[in-house]
Amino acid sequence: MFKFLIRISSFISKELTEILRQPRLILTLVLGPFLVMFLFGLGYPEQNRVLRTTYLAEDPSSLQGDMKVITETNNPALVNQGVESNKELALAKLALNQTDLVIEIPRDALETVRNNEQAKFVVYHNEVDPFQIAYIQSVARIYVDEANGRLLQSVTEQGQAEAGSVQTSLESAIERTRRLKQAIPPGDSEAATQVNDLEKDLTTAHDQLSTFRSLGSSVLVNPFNADTTSLSNIIFTPTEFFAPAVIVLLLQHLSITFASLSIVRERRSGIMELFKVAPITAFETLIGKFLSYLLFEMLLAGVITALAVWVLKVPMFGRWEEYVLAVVILLFTSLAVGFLISLISDTDTQAVQYSMLLLLASIFFSGFFLDLRLMWEPMKVLAWSLPATYGIQMLQNIMLRGASVPPLLLQGLALIGVGLFLVNWLLLRRRMEVQYS
Amino acid sequence: MNNTKNKNLNGDVVDAQNLTKTFGEEVAVDSLTLQVPRGSIFGFIGPSGCGKTTTVRMLTGVHKPTSGQVTVLGKNPTRFSKSDRGKIGYLIQNFVLYPELTVWENLNFAASFYGVSLFRGRHLNKLLDFVELKGDKRKLAGALSGGMKRRLSLAATMVHNPELLFLDEPTAGIDPLLRRKFWDYFKELQAEGHTLFVTTQYVGEAAYCDLVGIMYQGKLLMVETPDGLRKKAFGGEIVRIKTAELIRHENRNNLERLSFVHAKVRVIDDQEIEVIVDEASTAMPQLVEACKGEGLTIETIEEILPPFDDVFVRLIERENDNV
Repeated sequence: MFKFLIRISSFISKELTEILRQPRLILTLVLGPFLVMFLFGLGYPEQNRVLRTTYLAEDPSSLQGDMKVITETNNPALVNQGVESNKELALAKLALNQTDLVIEIPRDALETVRNNEQAKFVVYHNEVDPFQIAYIQSVARIYVDEANGRLLQSVTEQGQAEAGSVQTSLESAIERTRRLKQAIPPGDSEAATQVNDLEKDLTTAHDQLSTFRSLGSSVLVNPFNADTTSLSNIIFTPTEFFAPAVIVLLLQHLSITFASLSIVRERRSGIMELFKVAPITAFETLIGKFLSYLLFEMLLAGVITALAVWVLKVPMFGRWEEYVLAVVILLFTSLAVGFLISLISDTDTQAVQYSMLLLLASIFFSGFFLDLRLMWEPMKVLAWSLPATYGIQMLQNIMLRGASVPPLLLQGLALIGVGLFLVNWLLLRRRMEVQYS
Repeated sequence: MNNTKNKNLNGDVVDAQNLTKTFGEEVAVDSLTLQVPRGSIFGFIGPSGCGKTTTVRMLTGVHKPTSGQVTVLGKNPTRFSKSDRGKIGYLIQNFVLYPELTVWENLNFAASFYGVSLFRGRHLNKLLDFVELKGDKRKLAGALSGGMKRRLSLAATMVHNPELLFLDEPTAGIDPLLRRKFWDYFKELQAEGHTLFVTTQYVGEAAYCDLVGIMYQGKLLMVETPDGLRKKAFGGEIVRIKTAELIRHENRNNLERLSFVHAKVRVIDDQEIEVIVDEASTAMPQLVEACKGEGLTIETIEEILPPFDDVFVRLIERENDNV
């Protein structure tokens, strides 16, 4: 047992010494992620993109009066860059990136509506990014909803004003009906009933008109509204939201890269031949390497987390012990993935390529910037085979929600790690045992 | 294959019988049979690619022989236990230690993976002293010269004080002075009771060995003592005679008829000849007498030790002739 400890210590001290001998590397590993997050926060202070908007109207004077009221917007996402009457010029500005949107105002819009037809706003953009296109579509929808609302409001206000004179007529009709009722000879019960009914109908119509006039036009047009409130009651900045995912992605990538180069380098240097002859087993070798990198990565994770939480003020609502547990399991599993790469790669370059490929897969499939719920169900198998997917879910849960980590996530990630460790052990045993061919 | 319990009783630490190793169609080692006595230096000599390293790999358990039997320290190397492995030191042909670690850290690493006790500072210092690297222990291995790297590798091979050392071309690519020093180390190790199996391309290094195996094209041509090799190469020991008078044809014929003289007398010039004899020390007085009988006055008579390069070339030529 004592010799076992001495043997695994050989790798712990060797790997740590090799890493610590490169202070510039360590500095990059610690400060790099911190700098990335800091610059990310600086680079994306706004949550929504502001769109510079040019209105296109063949006759700018048509935008006066009612149309001016309809087309004006309070949407902070749209910044008015003026009205352009020449369509080609407006679209050229769009192509030259001098404006972000060109909204073509429908010609004779009010006339078209009066003729029982929809008047169409055409919104031109010059985007290729599907997310930006979706954003513009959403802004355009809100803009048209607003325009529709304004038109309805104007019509409603007009109706309310007209209802005033109708109401006056109704009042005099009610008065006349009352007088008529008094003039009916006693005994003519049928006539009395009819006049009573008429008076009642007129009074009801009058009351309804009163109600109609007493309501605000904006309430009549938009009777319902919606407010969104998060359970945590906090709106995170992009830096705060992405910080846990960035930490996870970085730790996974560093672990995989370190581990993937570790064994492949030794195989290529020829020292594996010495391991085969020496009294050291594949298990001892693997345990030694795992522990050395785990220690180093935990230290690294500690410094990165401290910088994120105490310098960048990334929220940490959860329990630290859960955070540590989640990070350790994430590191263990990522190292297992790295050692697997190391054992199946023939060269350093191949190992680096596999690691980069995995990083790319993690960016796209781990829920780093695309919500996993949007993913096609069968593809989720791929997503859940990446340690980063578990890591991001766990750290977002702990840091941003202050919630406990669902045991299934921890167990799933640990299971992958242990499974890969066993596979690595078998592969390394094969590499370290007698060659038969 | 021998059972691991089948101990070699005659004191040989290596006993190989008809070892063959093939890689696909290529026969790397062909029916190799050799024994290495305990406490000896066994030189395994041959040109590059002749199968020396493959043989070492079979003896250390890295490769399983295609056929044949082998025991090393009484065990089948492919079934070595941890404790068996602890008795073996293996110096790989190339420098395989870590260039980013210092001399001391590399040695410490080797000591750890051999399971050497943590109280090993003095032992490691002694080893560095032995290979004359004590003053360089803080240097990065990557910054060492080729010779220093080989010495560090040697120290790492001995870190667990193994009984049997397999040294694969320890002197390759280093200068003659350092090579000489290495052989001094090996002699010291032998004096301490270690057995050394040393492969080399330098035929001249055969002189430092107790036994020499000559390897050529995957075949072990012979295993002999260095003197035995010379005898085998030339048919006996060589005595060179220089006379004051002309050595005539009939003089040479008469000398060739002597019972202890083998083969034809080789003429160097009119007054100088070389004679192959069984044993130079006993033959020389008799040759002096015989020359006197022929009326020849001997100016000088000496035993010639041809360089091992010549010995090796002669043996290979003979092998090729036989083929």
